[in-house]
Amino acid sequence: MRSRLPVLRQRRRYMVFVLESEDDSGMVQARDLMGEIASSQLSLFGDSGAAANRLRLISFDGQIGLIRFSHQHLAETRAALAAVSSIRGIKAAIRTKGVSGTIKSAREKYLPRLVKLSFESDGRRIEQKDISGCIIRTHGVKVDLCPDDRYKSAGSGARFLGLTSLDLCGGHEDADGTADGL
Amino acid sequence: MSFFELAGCYPEGSSSASRMAYTARQLGWGGIIFLSRDPEGIFMPEAAQKVKGIEVAIEAEAQAAGSRALKGRIGSLSSRYPFVAVLGSSEEVIRMASEDPHVDLLIHPCDVRHPLGIATARAAAQNQVAIGFDLSPLIHMRGHNRARWMEALRINLELVRKFHIRPVITAGAASHLDLRSPRELMALAGVAGFEAQEAAEALRLPGRLLELNRRNWAGPGVEIL
Repeated sequence: MRSRLPVLRQRRRYMVFVLESEDDSGMVQARDLMGEIASSQLSLFGDSGAAANRLRLISFDGQIGLIRFSHQHLAETRAALAAVSSIRGIKAAIRTKGVSGTIKSAREKYLPRLVKLSFESDGRRIEQKDISGCIIRTHGVKVDLCPDDRYKSAGSGARFLGLTSLDLCGGHEDADGTADGL
Repeated sequence: MSFFELAGCYPEGSSSASRMAYTARQLGWGGIIFLSRDPEGIFMPEAAQKVKGIEVAIEAEAQAAGSRALKGRIGSLSSRYPFVAVLGSSEEVIRMASEDPHVDLLIHPCDVRHPLGIATARAAAQNQVAIGFDLSPLIHMRGHNRARWMEALRINLELVRKFHIRPVITAGAASHLDLRSPRELMALAGVAGFEAQEAAEALRLPGRLLELNRRNWAGPGVEIL
């Protein structure tokens, strides 16, 4: 409810985050994401903690999102986001990029760096002595591989193996490069 | 000294060492230590060394069937690797590891039924064995199980403070999606009961231990330069 007196208005902070997940389409629904975050927050801090923080998802485009919270609960919000490990059963991680006092400054500070983040689908295969499978996607030097032997990635509940082009050809000297080097 | 994370990698985890190192660098870690039961069997360790802007170390996690075999294993690993960790899988292993000065880190499973004992804590303090707290249950578990785990962690943390043992915190990542940034890990540690300064020190400690152990010590307090 809107306060009549501006001095009584609660101060807010805005956090930009990037969602990294195993979802092939890279398009997680905002409702699912917020459900996981709210569940994580409720589980960690209880009803009173959640009520005090007033966490709201302002925008989310499938990968990059903006979340609003009370300015006194930064550490709690970080912990709640860090405790999200899967969304609708698909392994995921929320990477916080930065915190700001207004939506405008949050977008200006933290969004321009993220324009390169776009996943592409791939149909190539890797055949090596220790490892073989289909490439799911590449982004820069990062490669996600669906192994032929499913038990290879059984340890941590992940569906895909996370590799880099350095593992596959070994010749890519500069890890900052954007070419996949396969 | 920058923050260091302890992690597992392929074939024990589901991401290669280079992918873990690359993600860790993006998250703001200064270094990453890969703990493996078979450090020579890690997939493409040289690729991880090529990732710039982060210090990568491949170190050993001692594991054996019995405590006597574990002692021998620790002895052989400590001569080859500057950092030796032990995962406290049983009371016997925890007691043995806390009494061995060659062990740098004992990762204690926080279990209410088997908390850190006073004798173990005293031995760890005497032998300068750091106690590791794996915060992955805080990320992956929910509800009653997590509450029990947090209760055990608080009990252990009280004893760690009492005996001035240096704690280490880690996310226990086996995949790049399990890695968390130092700030997130400090926030999680705060929820678990750590103080902010204590958590920051706990994240710096692995790097400091690695640096100390890499020096050429002729004897206690005598270094060959």
